[in-house]
Amino acid sequence: MVNSNADALGIIFPNSYDSLVPELTSERLMASIPFASRYRMIDFILSGMANCGIDNISIVVRKNYHSLLDHLGSGRAWDLTRKNGGLNIIPPFAQKAVKIYHGRVEALASILTFLKSQKEKYVVMSDANIAVNFNFSDFINTHMNSGADVTVAYVKAEVPAKAVEENPTSDTFSYTLRIEDGRVREIRINPKDAGVQDFSMNIYIIDRELLISQIESAYVKGYIYFERDILEPQLDTLNVQAYEHTGYAARICDMKSYFDENMKLLDAKNLDALFEGNPVYTKIRDDTPTRYITGAKVNNIMAADGCIIEGDVENSILFRGVKIAKGAKVKNCVLMQDTTVEEGAQLEYVVSDKNVHITAGKELKGTDTFPVFIAKKQTV
Amino acid sequence: MAKEMIAMLLAGGQGSRLYVLTQKLAKPAVPFGGKYRIIDFPLSNCVNSGIDTVGILTQYQPLVLNEYIGNGQPWDLDRLHGGVHVLPPYQQASGSDWYKGTANAIYQNIPFIERYNPKYVIILSGDQICKQDYSDFLKFHKEKNAEFSVAVMEVPWEDASRFGLMVADEDDRITEFQEKPKEPKSNLASMGIYIFNWDVLRKYLVEDEADPTSENDFGNNIIPNLLKDGRRMYAYHFSGYWKDVGTIPSLWEANMEVLNPEDSGINLFDENWKIYSRNSGMTGHRISADALVENSMITDGCRVDGTVKHSILFAGVKVEEGAKVEDAVIMGNTVIRSGAVVSHCIVGENVEIGQHAVVGAMPAEGEKGVATVGPGVTIGERAKVGPNAMVSNDVKEGEEQW
Repeated sequence: MVNSNADALGIIFPNSYDSLVPELTSERLMASIPFASRYRMIDFILSGMANCGIDNISIVVRKNYHSLLDHLGSGRAWDLTRKNGGLNIIPPFAQKAVKIYHGRVEALASILTFLKSQKEKYVVMSDANIAVNFNFSDFINTHMNSGADVTVAYVKAEVPAKAVEENPTSDTFSYTLRIEDGRVREIRINPKDAGVQDFSMNIYIIDRELLISQIESAYVKGYIYFERDILEPQLDTLNVQAYEHTGYAARICDMKSYFDENMKLLDAKNLDALFEGNPVYTKIRDDTPTRYITGAKVNNIMAADGCIIEGDVENSILFRGVKIAKGAKVKNCVLMQDTTVEEGAQLEYVVSDKNVHITAGKELKGTDTFPVFIAKKQTV
Repeated sequence: MAKEMIAMLLAGGQGSRLYVLTQKLAKPAVPFGGKYRIIDFPLSNCVNSGIDTVGILTQYQPLVLNEYIGNGQPWDLDRLHGGVHVLPPYQQASGSDWYKGTANAIYQNIPFIERYNPKYVIILSGDQICKQDYSDFLKFHKEKNAEFSVAVMEVPWEDASRFGLMVADEDDRITEFQEKPKEPKSNLASMGIYIFNWDVLRKYLVEDEADPTSENDFGNNIIPNLLKDGRRMYAYHFSGYWKDVGTIPSLWEANMEVLNPEDSGINLFDENWKIYSRNSGMTGHRISADALVENSMITDGCRVDGTVKHSILFAGVKVEEGAKVEDAVIMGNTVIRSGAVVSHCIVGENVEIGQHAVVGAMPAEGEKGVATVGPGVTIGERAKVGPNAMVSNDVKEGEEQW
């Protein structure tokens, strides 16, 4: 059979790390957080998988997933509207005995029947909290050639302060790895070590049959977490290999990192690094090009389509359909879809969620360490 | 299931007066307004008017157009029954033939139209920029109990002799048709958009085909024949923005008018009448700290480090530091190197303009002219392209072309 596709199916957990950014996830989930002027977080992993020929992708949603369903639709934007495979969104089964899953073990246990009926040899799993142009083809090939049971992707990075300080709550574990000759010897959970670590991206590849048997035995024992309860105790018997991702990666760990990671893209080097190679797809909105009206002053910005700019904008990220009226001043801001800033308003270090309305003459000012956040649909 | 009205879109024109821009491209596929192609306008009008079946008649350089239309999904025209269909001439048992004229193009596709058994057929043209509600046009057609209606625009009397003119009575019933007359009796110019009762159109197409002296053209043959027979023909007045972008100056002008929707009337920002297009899929555009942007439209994938004034940049255009772009239409993925000056011109897709090259010039008093650089051309460093030039081949370093 001619096959340009990968022999792997994809599973994405869109709710992981929701609780790190409560402001942004009050009405959505991590995967649908807007990022980089016209994308949602899930676009990066989803496009990465689709570009590498993974065309059977399941998204195991947990809660707050309306915005994600709206964003994904039938999966056409990612070319995942397929008769066989394609995009498969799995909501929780609404039944008394079924609880909303906590960890990956429970999530995977809920789709065991599905997993058993698939044909792909491997399963690739990922969260959606990292914006990355990840090379899944290389990842899959490396795994196949190494003969490992499991391969996990990591980056060399510092564990964010918030993750270190945080009391371990159900879905905010961060994992670092101790690697010897490419093999993972220890998985540290919420480590307190300072400095650059081998920081897990929680992107895994595992043989589908092996995953099924591991989940079956873990689930009956009441285990919850894939890393803590399955991998870590079996590191001696399971060959878990580490795969370093050396490219660009933007991880959302809190409001501050959300702001910073957006702002970083104003540096052309970072923007090129994130978007080099394969395209990142997203839902199409059919906006017009952005219009800069006479009198507009713009300096160091990134903007999506559909904006109308008449005022001053500096060092800012504008999502689709943002309108900035005459005499308004916007500096160091991240303004999400359809934010409108009326005449004479002044914003500095502000993150506005969708459909925020800033009325004329208002002044809002945060600081670089603490941007002011304005929730969805609020009028100031 | 019968359709009330389907659309037939004439997209076969060569567009020879767009010269280098249409050498490898059908005119309806010519890029327009930052992220559109001309054909997006009639297609979006169809969908917004509730027409879900469109036949696109192509024959000249159809590759780009075919790929662009694809399954019609960007316009929501991927339908189980109906949707958009590209209709090139094809071979039949009786032989094969190119489309000899606009009427013959429809004639050859009578079987296509009959599949949908429509009551009405609207004939559209693929080379106009216009936002129009065809359902309002159909309402007029029905109210007048017409057999044929044509959309007309009032044009200034001094320009009237450049158009096909409809002479109509106070009830809008057409009494006479004048094709580019020396002495116009009317200033109602035909927009080339017709609604026919299908049974009437079918009859006249068959008769026209049987006439060996006919040019098989709507304007020259079908409409005069209808008139001769005293058919119920009406003129529907349209007063919105309408522009035939068949020439370089008119294409440039229409693009510039997009920058001034308040006065020109071509408002692409209307949420209630969106113009759809196939998306570039590029990331948001970047405007750096060194850039200066004034009164322009910029779309995804652009990187602006230089100066852009009163211009339209299509997806993926790069304007390097120190480069100047003014009164220009720059099509997709073109790169303008540092120090280059690009003004009052149309630059095609995938062009590279070298450092310190000069393309076009702002016209002095009484002068006219829009420089045009064809797609894929490379303009060398310090090369010069004159204000009226039509560039289809590379211009080498330091050379001049006027």
